[in-house]
Amino acid sequence: MRRVLVLAAVCAAVPVAAAAHKLNVFASADCEAVTVEASFSGGRKAKSGDVKVMDGDNVMIKTLSLQNDGTARIPLESVDHSGGLLIVVDTGGHDNYWILTPEDIARQCGS
Amino acid sequence: MKKIALSTVFLGLVAAFPATAHYGMIIPSDPMVSQEDGRSVALTMSFSHPFELDGMTLDTPASFNVTHEGETTDLLGTLQNARIMDEAGFTLDYPLDRPGTYIFSMEPKPYWEPAEDAFIIHYTKTYVTAYGDDEGWDTELGLKTEIVPLSKPFGLWERNVFQGIVKLDGEAVPYAEVEVEYFNETGATAPDDLMITQTVKADANGVFTYAAPSDGWWGFAALNTADYTLPQDGEDKAVELGAVIWVRFEAWTGQ
Repeated sequence: MRRVLVLAAVCAAVPVAAAAHKLNVFASADCEAVTVEASFSGGRKAKSGDVKVMDGDNVMIKTLSLQNDGTARIPLESVDHSGGLLIVVDTGGHDNYWILTPEDIARQCGS
Repeated sequence: MKKIALSTVFLGLVAAFPATAHYGMIIPSDPMVSQEDGRSVALTMSFSHPFELDGMTLDTPASFNVTHEGETTDLLGTLQNARIMDEAGFTLDYPLDRPGTYIFSMEPKPYWEPAEDAFIIHYTKTYVTAYGDDEGWDTELGLKTEIVPLSKPFGLWERNVFQGIVKLDGEAVPYAEVEVEYFNETGATAPDDLMITQTVKADANGVFTYAAPSDGWWGFAALNTADYTLPQDGEDKAVELGAVIWVRFEAWTGQ
């Protein structure tokens, strides 16, 4: 239920332009950390950007910067991921998000 | 009067046989899977006359693979038996672990078609993109025969054109014949049998073009005759090689 609320809130709150040069954001987890990947359509890695991490209640819990390879690493122990994580990447001109659900984290950690 | 009655009977007999093309089919539940759609795609594999929804038996294929980010994975052992259009087929629920384009491809075992006195092998594929990343949409798999897309094979509006290059043994096939048929999930009717399977020819570079009149799944089958034969009833029989691609066109949402 909590995750459903997050998804609904995100869909309403994050206007995402699906235009040319759009930013793609993806995040995956192993048992130690979340890896965020940001790239533009065409495959070019985002060189810089702000990464905002929100918990299952849509509360900001961490901010960090993209590395120049388009990735960011978030140690799982540094965030409360019990309700999932909403990860927003903003490169200044483009932004997008990925929702890492509790099921995603559990499945990927178990695989 | 008697002559008319005989004609009617004759027509009835003829109408019992689909006058249309065979198609290998791989139909995904969604060709563009977003993160809100879930983390997997459901696939349905069959062999049919898709406009008439007339199924035929699809035996366990010789191969069934997925290609993603340049890596091909054998999925043959994961196929689930199913009844598709009242005949044997397969399903598969495949997890999409990462973004990008997933190309599902199938090489069926040779299908003996007595009516055509030939075997049929339809190398069939379809493209699914995951999580907004369309990288790899123009991937060529290197199949024996293949339609390599020049138009992105998903995210097309109805009435857009779809273009592809027909290849056989890696070489473009000039003036290849391409049959086009609609997977008739909407009950469309055809004013003439000639409208069920349409035909276009490629140009001198093997490039063909087709504009779909409606949204839905459309199958493109480029047909060539193999340079080998297979035995049947003590005789060598021709083998029809089909390069099949399934492409979904989306309904135009404007006024």
